[in-house]
Amino acid sequence: MIRNSDTNGTVYHVQGGPMGTLLTIKDFCLWYGRAQALFDVGMGVEKGLVTALIGPSGCGKSTLLRGINRMNDLIDGLRTSGEILLDGTDIYGPDVDVIGLRKVMGMVFQKPNPFPMSIADNVCYPLKVDGVRDKKTLRDTLENALKASALWDEVKDRLQDNALGLSGGQQQRLCIARAIAGDPEVLLMDEPCSALDPVATAKIEDLIDELRGRYTIVIVTHNMQQAARVSDNTAFMYLGKLIEYGETSVIFTNPKVEKTMEYVTGRFG
Amino acid sequence: MTDSGKRGPKKTRTWVLIADRLADRSITVGGVLVIGAVLGMMVFLVHEVLPLFRGGSVESSHVYQLQGKQEPAINLAMDEYKTIAVSVSREGQVATWHVETGFPLEKRSFDLKDKTITAFAKTLDSSNIAVGFSDGTVRFGRIEFRNDVLPEDQAPAGLKKINELYETDGSAVYSRVPGRQIRKISFKLELDDEIQVSESGSPIKVMDYRLTMFGERPKRILLTMDGSGTATMSMTETKMNMFTRKVVTKTSKSSLPPIPDSSDVAFALVTEMADQAYFADKKGIIYRYNTRDFEHPFLAETVETMPQGTNLTVLGFLMGEASLVVGGSDGSLSIYFLLAREGAKTLDGASLVRTRKFEPHNSAVTGFSPGQRGKTFATCDSKGEIWLRNGTSEETLVKISPPEKSSWQALVLAPRMNGILAFSSNGSSGFWDLSVPHPEISLHTLFGKVWYEGYSEPGYTWQSSGATDAFEPKLSLVPLIFGTLKATMYSLMFAIPIALLGAIYTSEFLPARVRGKIKPVMEVMASIPSVVLGFVAGLVLAPVVENWISAVLLVFLALPLLLVFSAYLWQLMPASTAVRLEGLPKFVLMFVLVGFGFYLTYLGGPSFEKFFFNGNFQSWLNGEGSPAAFLFLMTVPLAAAAVSWSFSRFWGYRAYQYIRKMEMPYSALLDLFRWLCIAGVTALLSYVIAVSLAGVGFDPRGSIVGTYVQRNTLVVGFAMGFAVIPLIYTLAEDALNSVPDHLRAASLGCGATPWQTAIWIILPTALSGVFSAVMIGMGRAVGETMIVVMSAGNTPLLDLNIFNGLRALSANIAVELPEAPKDGTLYRVLFLTGLVLFGMTFVINTVAELVRLRFRKRAMQL
Repeated sequence: MIRNSDTNGTVYHVQGGPMGTLLTIKDFCLWYGRAQALFDVGMGVEKGLVTALIGPSGCGKSTLLRGINRMNDLIDGLRTSGEILLDGTDIYGPDVDVIGLRKVMGMVFQKPNPFPMSIADNVCYPLKVDGVRDKKTLRDTLENALKASALWDEVKDRLQDNALGLSGGQQQRLCIARAIAGDPEVLLMDEPCSALDPVATAKIEDLIDELRGRYTIVIVTHNMQQAARVSDNTAFMYLGKLIEYGETSVIFTNPKVEKTMEYVTGRFG
Repeated sequence: MTDSGKRGPKKTRTWVLIADRLADRSITVGGVLVIGAVLGMMVFLVHEVLPLFRGGSVESSHVYQLQGKQEPAINLAMDEYKTIAVSVSREGQVATWHVETGFPLEKRSFDLKDKTITAFAKTLDSSNIAVGFSDGTVRFGRIEFRNDVLPEDQAPAGLKKINELYETDGSAVYSRVPGRQIRKISFKLELDDEIQVSESGSPIKVMDYRLTMFGERPKRILLTMDGSGTATMSMTETKMNMFTRKVVTKTSKSSLPPIPDSSDVAFALVTEMADQAYFADKKGIIYRYNTRDFEHPFLAETVETMPQGTNLTVLGFLMGEASLVVGGSDGSLSIYFLLAREGAKTLDGASLVRTRKFEPHNSAVTGFSPGQRGKTFATCDSKGEIWLRNGTSEETLVKISPPEKSSWQALVLAPRMNGILAFSSNGSSGFWDLSVPHPEISLHTLFGKVWYEGYSEPGYTWQSSGATDAFEPKLSLVPLIFGTLKATMYSLMFAIPIALLGAIYTSEFLPARVRGKIKPVMEVMASIPSVVLGFVAGLVLAPVVENWISAVLLVFLALPLLLVFSAYLWQLMPASTAVRLEGLPKFVLMFVLVGFGFYLTYLGGPSFEKFFFNGNFQSWLNGEGSPAAFLFLMTVPLAAAAVSWSFSRFWGYRAYQYIRKMEMPYSALLDLFRWLCIAGVTALLSYVIAVSLAGVGFDPRGSIVGTYVQRNTLVVGFAMGFAVIPLIYTLAEDALNSVPDHLRAASLGCGATPWQTAIWIILPTALSGVFSAVMIGMGRAVGETMIVVMSAGNTPLLDLNIFNGLRALSANIAVELPEAPKDGTLYRVLFLTGLVLFGMTFVINTVAELVRLRFRKRAMQL
């Protein structure tokens, strides 16, 4: 097993989270078949804050994000080592209920992916999955989630319309609403704005800002300005390794590692 | 580059342009040819089928005045080639003429020894006659046409020309036939010695005559009534001693009980079997004698056929002697069958039933001539109209109105039913050349209920050939369409769940690596020739299923139960162990489990049979024992669906939350317990439903289940399922697989299980593809031939019973085509069968496409 001597056993923490650390990633390695994609990643994700994962393409930031809610499990020949602790429990432990885990971690994908059904059904899907059938609960959740994702005013008159009729930005906010409706603790966002135009992007960023504090948000982004704008903490990854992790302002203005400096100043990437 | 830098548009090379043009042209031609071929196929089918519905037409008509004084005819005959017409008068004068032209031929006469004919009878083929005289004697005779084909050089010299085609030597008519040959048509008249029939010597009033040949032994049946009202039936058998070659003629007589009022009796009829004799008077009262016991005949039935004031004018049999044609002076015409009837108020339990009514003539029916090769017959009325009708289809095929008003005194239908000759007492005669290729076919006989001879009620019957000459083909397509639908329905009931669940399993639950291996295997399964499947199903599977029918039925109940139960047991295992056994071990275990399930049903079959079916399933099917147990089995799936639905609807969420909070092995135990409860409630519910249904008197036997036949629809379902499953499976799997992964990820990211994802997201999104997979499977099942030919028993029945056989449209074509002469009725009906099949698949595919487009529009934006 290849071990990176530099980072072996280290868990980077950023101090200053008001509610403490929610997720602790320790020595996390991940292989796709023979190819290793993550090397001994160690970091703590602060509760209630927005953590951005940045880095050039193929650096493993999306892999890490998907590792947090075990979406990677679907991939054939995947192996991991190390642990990811959620409130002290290893989510890769033998007795973990993966389905239950994903209910705690809402996920928003790169491309808006509403289901081909009505707006209401889309948002209520996590509840449907749980077997909730109470009409009032459903209605309340629908309204709250749409309001939380700043979509309510735009769609309240056409909740039964097909979600595919919405614009790209609206679709992505609907996906956020759907993630919120399941009442998660963590929101994992995998480049949520990469398929959107600048106006829609701005709206999503505003939304992330509003959700700060209520959810622990981990966001993968290519866009360094976006990371700088929305995140509290930023992790820079390169070639499957966590290079540097710290407060966003520090990472963008005064990084400790040369590589980070080169990346944030746009010298490569 | 040294040029000035000026760049015009680049020139495409000539050969590229030519190649492009060429490809364009050849693709266009090819495409048009393909479309043309398909349309041509369709046009060809229609072209082959259309003549079935054309009815009949008059090809040419010839009305002429015969030379010389003509006596009224008591008999009119015509040969098979419509060449010579023969009429016999009451005085024994025999006039002959050429049919088409009226050219007179040799006049002959019977030597009647100065007696006059008082009664005349002939057999159906017109060649054997019997004449009765005023002194109570009867003479048998023959008017036989002879047809010889001679080489051209043997034609006699000095022939007289009739017209371009025919020549005559005075008595015989010669015509040229292809191959330098000459056909000579001649005829022979013979009259035997007289036999005294009426013992009192009073004149024979009415009579009927039948001649049957059993090899070289003629048997004559003669029914007579003389002037004194004495009815006699006599049977004359001629036997030759095998050793001495001595011919012995034995006559036995039997006198029938008298009729109350015999003064008006005008008709007599007897059957070839000599089992029924009829007399009828002018008022339309038919007296039927049962003469099955020749020594002791009795008057079985008296039927009034005509309303008051209407006379019976025509009475006769159609070929086969099962249809009694009755015509009246009001122009009405109907057919009676002699049918064994429950509660018939007759002495022998049978009664004459009017089964068909024909379009009435405008005036009294005066003449009737049955066809010799089917149920077609001709009638004429007092206004001179001649109608050709078919007794089965009840259609009037041809209506002939003669140019001038003439009253036909006699008419005869040509032996091949392709011409009608009529004769009037004023000496004029008419001949019409007809073309009636498919007289018995109409939309009604093909698709409607037809009351066939010998059947106790109207029905849909397919029976294209029979043992006797008098057999009438029964060509209803309804049992065949039904058979096709039945085979399709039962095989889809078997195939759809397996194929779709298999597709969902491979697409959503199997790792891509395994999927890549399983799919080609299933596709290989699709390439097994269906004849092999049919062969195996018919010869191997059918006897096995018959032997182990109870175990086979038990499998459908036991295997799902066992699998679900094991799944719950699996949950009890610690998660770490379960994870370790994931993959190949689990896979192997599943197969072992299925094998074990089969073994269990094999063991449990007999006791299952004992408990549910009185110990013997097949005798239970035949009506022994109570239906409750079977009803229980049938209601189980419905009850299970209802119970589990209502459970999850009302307590599902709560139970789920509760179970979720518990520790691992206990929660699994509780889940198992929950499932057992559902199963128990289901059993209870179906028990209650079954008992109450049975109490109400509902019995599935006689409808969807019934008497067991070895080659049955269940076997067809298995075999056809085997053919259809790979098809549905592959297409459905492709459709499911093509659902974008981001939807799968979104659903799983919401915390849905793979099963929930499959049912709520993947399946609805892929519905258009899955639906067309099912429809294509259905199209295959509808058109499938060899499996149904070999394993369905080919019995064209209208019976929903899953344990009975069937005959599908496709199988019918395969089975009957060798029996169908080109351009014959059966041949064209088989083409119609193909057209119907084509129509069915066309409708199925069109519906599939429309529904698919609808679904697709919904999922289009993805």
